[in-house]
Amino acid sequence: MPEIRVTPLGAGQDVGRSCILVSIAGKNVMLDCGMHMGFSDDVSPPDGRLTCAASSSHFHLDHCGALPYFSEMVGYDGPIYMTHPTQAICPILLEDYRKIAVDKKGEANFFTSQMIKDCMKKVVAVHLHQTVQVDDELEIKAYYAGHVLGAAMFQIKVGSESVVYTGDYNMTPDRHLGAAWIDKCRPNLLITESTYATTIRDSKRCRERDFLKKVHETVERGGKVLIPVFALGRAQELCILLETFWERMNLKVPIYFSTGLTEKANHYYKLFITWTNQKIRKTFVQRNMFEFKHIKAFDRAFCCPWAPSPSTSGGHVVFATPGMLHAGQSLQIFRKWAGNEKNMVIMPGYCVQGTVGHKILSGQRKLEMEGRQVLEVKMQVEYMSFSAHADAKGIMQLVGQAEPESVLLVHGEAKKMEFLKQKIEQEFRVDCYMPANGETVVLPTSPSIPGGISLGLLKREMAQGLLPEAKRPRLLHGTLIMKDSNFRLVSSEQALKELGLAEHQLRFTCRVHLHDTRKEQETAMRVYSHLKSILKDHCVQHLPDGSVTVESILIQAAAPSEDPATKVLLVSWTYQDEELGSYLTSLLKKGLPQAPS
Amino acid sequence: MEPAEEDWLVESLRLYQDFYAFDLSGATRVLEWIDDKGVFVAGYESLKKNEILHLILPLRLSVKENQGLFPERDFKVCHGGFSDRSVFDLKYVPDTSLLVTSGLPGCYLQVWQVTEDSDVIKAVSTIAVHEKEKSLWPRVAIFSSAAPGVLHGVRLSSLQVVDLESQKTTYTSGVSDSEELSSLQVLDADTFAFCCTSGRLGLVDTRQKWAPLETRSPGPESSALRWCAEVGGRGQGPGPRIASLGSDGQLHLLDPRDLCHPVSSVQCPVSTPSPNPELLQVTWAPGLDDCLAISGFDGTVQVYDVSSWDGMGNGIEPLFTHRGHIFLDGKGMDTAPLVTTHTWHPCKPRTLLSAASDASLHVWDWVDLRASQ
Repeated sequence: MPEIRVTPLGAGQDVGRSCILVSIAGKNVMLDCGMHMGFSDDVSPPDGRLTCAASSSHFHLDHCGALPYFSEMVGYDGPIYMTHPTQAICPILLEDYRKIAVDKKGEANFFTSQMIKDCMKKVVAVHLHQTVQVDDELEIKAYYAGHVLGAAMFQIKVGSESVVYTGDYNMTPDRHLGAAWIDKCRPNLLITESTYATTIRDSKRCRERDFLKKVHETVERGGKVLIPVFALGRAQELCILLETFWERMNLKVPIYFSTGLTEKANHYYKLFITWTNQKIRKTFVQRNMFEFKHIKAFDRAFCCPWAPSPSTSGGHVVFATPGMLHAGQSLQIFRKWAGNEKNMVIMPGYCVQGTVGHKILSGQRKLEMEGRQVLEVKMQVEYMSFSAHADAKGIMQLVGQAEPESVLLVHGEAKKMEFLKQKIEQEFRVDCYMPANGETVVLPTSPSIPGGISLGLLKREMAQGLLPEAKRPRLLHGTLIMKDSNFRLVSSEQALKELGLAEHQLRFTCRVHLHDTRKEQETAMRVYSHLKSILKDHCVQHLPDGSVTVESILIQAAAPSEDPATKVLLVSWTYQDEELGSYLTSLLKKGLPQAPS
Repeated sequence: MEPAEEDWLVESLRLYQDFYAFDLSGATRVLEWIDDKGVFVAGYESLKKNEILHLILPLRLSVKENQGLFPERDFKVCHGGFSDRSVFDLKYVPDTSLLVTSGLPGCYLQVWQVTEDSDVIKAVSTIAVHEKEKSLWPRVAIFSSAAPGVLHGVRLSSLQVVDLESQKTTYTSGVSDSEELSSLQVLDADTFAFCCTSGRLGLVDTRQKWAPLETRSPGPESSALRWCAEVGGRGQGPGPRIASLGSDGQLHLLDPRDLCHPVSSVQCPVSTPSPNPELLQVTWAPGLDDCLAISGFDGTVQVYDVSSWDGMGNGIEPLFTHRGHIFLDGKGMDTAPLVTTHTWHPCKPRTLLSAASDASLHVWDWVDLRASQ
């Protein structure tokens, strides 16, 4: 029985848990690999060999954080598919992650830098909407998912069976990325993240407004705002936002952006310009991405403009790397500014445990730095979430676009998603599954096998006149030839010719006894009138030799010598007219209507 | 972003302490609180299944301290249910897990149950309404007590209280007056207030035979087609006050001790007439003295400080006008959205929720600009 099997791995809803095993037409595929390594109640690796792994959702650690572990420590040797931006950005974040885990948290048995490099050698990068042949049966295609630079939704296809995995996506465009989009590909199954399925998202405008308000209030009172960022994605968006509003509000407060960031970001953005939305693309073609009127680059080699001195009063804003405050420039600046309650640090994203970022977001106000120095954090700490995820409305939109036969929701709590399940089932009339992590869902599929019809056969049928309609289907006779994984429907004659067989005709004859005292010619006449009146849709004829035909069925009346009161009707037909022949026979067995005397 | 929208957003930095904007899957005419952390909304479309949702306010709004450490600005859909008919009114029965809704056709009220072991709101029973009006739906209010009762009625003549558990009628108005009702409000264990569409107001004690304290109906010189009212208000003078709003923008303030003589009458600067007078709403602020809000004339909600009125009714200006529904209309609809309902947050004094016909839902905390002067 052909089927699709899906097992989401991992446990709970923590960050670092996206990993889904799909078995489609005998091929095993792993989607995302964000499992936390060293986790004690891991589900054991899949049975059977993996045909391929696709890391769809972008460079976020909860979707690729365990890739090096899986490929270098568990020993997966096959191809790993991801988009070009993900391929470029992944190793940087994995290395950061590794450094934090080993240096800050002292984790043993973690993957090494070399392992990250070796893992990336197995990566095959794909373009959007490019059909990639993994082997002679399995193909994959990436669709734009929005969310972050390089995020994609993947379609896995074997023959006519397909599964679409969304990863993280969003349906509303923002300042630097478009919205997810998929065509009406009608997969057997759509697997969608449902972490945010039971939420209704606050609008982008309001989040931006909150950010602007916090920055504005801080600089107005002479405070400084530190925004630790990665080189890519969020940083550009926030810069564009600040630039736009600084212009509108005619503000003179300086904004700085570290050059290290600028160089890296520029490089990546030039490479991946096709991944941003239309508006940005137009802007960047015309100018350097960081040529802002109000935002200036600074170089750490120069004297820090905010070195403690009386002339540096007054607010300003600084964007600096790295994003989790775990090292480098952003941490340096943080240490300088932390002691003043007029200042503010805005964390625009998730911080891995062990980093200073994570500590202050957990509410810690006293931090132990190197040399047992204690840093008191008096500055305001703001945690803002800008990453775009699909909420309930977004999920409904995507299901409406792709038109799957079934939907599977991962990473939600079943008790809290019964309403969404009903909503999806009612609106789209599809089955909705919500497996727990570790649970396998089996979907029976009915694969369609395409067959060709020979032109000759088709022409012959068309020539018979009336085209078939839904209410009156017409029977088509043909022979199905299966040869070399090919299905063809041809006419019987052609099939016989190809097979080198002689044609035989089968003809059935049935005797129906009737009580009738008249001569057989009159009996035949009665039969003719009777059938003519009943079978209005068929061609009923009375031939000169006394026989009656209904289409190609022949009815002859005979008088057996034994009993002159009985007449025998010989009804004969070829096997093609079986249905009509049987019908006529039973009709005639009921007898003829009484003739008027 | 449209320049107008951008301008408004820049303005909003100064006008609002906090502002959240959401898009529901269907517009709501209902905003009913369940404790101070959650609200119910419900759809009112006539030809499709409508959703009833129990939404938990974003964490950022509800936490008292360290707000900055909570990035969550989203509503959480805690429970959801499906209604075959439009829902025009929804009341939560305190201390139970039950809801009562009213809609069209108006021949029954639906009772729902919200449980903890599932997120689906289930329809459990109905309360028959003996009025067989085609286009009118009964107004509903809840007498909360050990044995909760549902007060409902389409007209004064059909006003009754039904015990929720036994379904027995425990009170009827017993009058033949067929004036149509606009709102009902329970004041305490024995009294309720009614407002008719004509503007006639009354306070009723259920322990007595029908003898309400009443106003005179506004005469034919009033240009209002419809009225609504709310009892509440804290501030100058003892006891509650009544605010009564007409579809022509007239606003009366009344003292329950003398309903025949309004304390003040003003003309609110609103665009009239209201495109849908059934959506008119006036609410008293639970956390501010002498403040009320009105909506139902256009896409705005206006907040007034009634203590500044001198009873002459001239030059009345709102203390604050929420224009978010007009400026954030990202759908590019041809018709401007109309605010369908609004409500005050029970604890945060200047926070309101407002919903509009384009399915938007806003949560806003306005800045009292007088304080900075």
